Amino acid sequence: MNDSMVKVYITGTGAVKIARHYPLGVRDLAFQAGKQALAESGSDNVDFVIVASSLSYLQAPQLDLASYIASSLGLHGVRALSVEAGESSGLAALETAVSLIKSQEASRVLLIGVDKMTEHPSGPTYVMLQALYDTESDAYYNIGHAGIAALLMRLYMEKYEVDRLTLAYWPAMMHMHAKNNPHAMLPFAVAPEKVMTAMPIAEPITLLDAYPLGDGAAAIVLENGDELEGRPLAEIESVISATGMPSPALREDPLDLESLRTALGRLGGLEKIDVIELHDSFSIYGLLELETLGLAEKGESAKLVAEGYFSAEGEGPLVNPSGGLKARGHPIGATDVYKLVEVSRILAGTWQGVKRGDEETGMIVSINAAGSSSRIALLRKVKG
Amino acid sequence: MTRSLPVWWRRRIPRYRLIGARCKECGKIHYPPRTSCPYCGSNSLEEVQLPRRGILESYSVIYSVPGDNRLNAPIIVGLVNINGVRIVAELTDVLPGELSTGLEVEAVVRKISETSDTGIITYGVKFRPVLGAGSGAGQDTGEA
Repeated sequence: MNDSMVKVYITGTGAVKIARHYPLGVRDLAFQAGKQALAESGSDNVDFVIVASSLSYLQAPQLDLASYIASSLGLHGVRALSVEAGESSGLAALETAVSLIKSQEASRVLLIGVDKMTEHPSGPTYVMLQALYDTESDAYYNIGHAGIAALLMRLYMEKYEVDRLTLAYWPAMMHMHAKNNPHAMLPFAVAPEKVMTAMPIAEPITLLDAYPLGDGAAAIVLENGDELEGRPLAEIESVISATGMPSPALREDPLDLESLRTALGRLGGLEKIDVIELHDSFSIYGLLELETLGLAEKGESAKLVAEGYFSAEGEGPLVNPSGGLKARGHPIGATDVYKLVEVSRILAGTWQGVKRGDEETGMIVSINAAGSSSRIALLRKVKG
Repeated sequence: MTRSLPVWWRRRIPRYRLIGARCKECGKIHYPPRTSCPYCGSNSLEEVQLPRRGILESYSVIYSVPGDNRLNAPIIVGLVNINGVRIVAELTDVLPGELSTGLEVEAVVRKISETSDTGIITYGVKFRPVLGAGSGAGQDTGEA
């Protein structure tokens, strides 16, 4: 999509364990992740700080967040920019950072994703999360954070005759993967039967189908390949996005993630991908993404997941070695940056969690809500 | 859910009366009315009264209810299809065990939310199972 010959590399990564960080505020979390990433890149010298955050504007609340975070990192006078695109904020910030570097407006960018979700009790937080969905239509009603995903899950189960237990293998696989992720919020195993019989939060979604409310921050340093200061961990090959219908009710098929389909079309097809981090705020979205990306036939993805096709031992691409939004956690604006940290470390060979060891290409997918926008990033191993 | 009176007030009529918008360019109907057609982008729209009966295509019984409306949990949300126009809205006058997809439902006006710190109470269309189905009662007249 961009004719610029400039190559963009990730040279530093940082991630805070996702948890209920009662003593730490947004800036403290951003500081920790940012400093880790700068240290790995070998230099504090950056000309842009880009902050991906969504709930900070409601939880803290703080506006012009990037400038305050830059200041708390001691980066006085640097250029700073906040990017908000709901649950897809992290890849939206990546899109911005990559275009700044490709256009040679910046050569080193510190990208931080941060959100706190526990500054308020869960009731007010659900009000904030409901605003990820269209407040002029669906979210006028008390749909909460899970209502739309629940409607789509039931549609999927009835349309493709997939039973509840088969759908419980996604969270089970996520929890299995998260056990080895050092910054996962829920690093423990859960059996599919437990998922199915857990407390309902929005039937047919149970507590164990849903992402946890946790605080987190992750960061990466991005550099122009012609002026590298740090050691490259992975190359950003492309990042692309598309908007979609504001409500799934407006789609001809409510189960069609048309914004992701449009973004995929802009990439002009996919080569072989070794590792994928999908957006599974709720299992149904992860499954619909697999089918939209052409990695499973419609209605078949849950069965493939249950058979282990996307696990470390499976024949398909490795999906969500992090444990996904489900078990690693989903601090809204920070989540995509966690995915960037995890996939870069897998490609660089420094990842401590689940992997196959021969990954050369990685893909990161994010959507906001039920697909008001979607983004895809492709990463490549740096040879030699 | 709103903490702002103007935000709710300016959209109240379509929400009380189930008034959708028909695009004069592509002919498609959507609800609630938007600034421009979500299908073709045209802003040449006209109001259209939607029939009050539809079919329940999906539903969810929600326990993690946001904000002050938690007191009313569980809340039931449905995806209702009215002659091809789909609407996400709450269901009312029905118990969770009585729900099934394919159920015929009809629109009524009910309280949607109440926000304690502002005192704002919002109303709008909800759907309930059709009363007296087969008797001719509650027949769709197309009136609000």
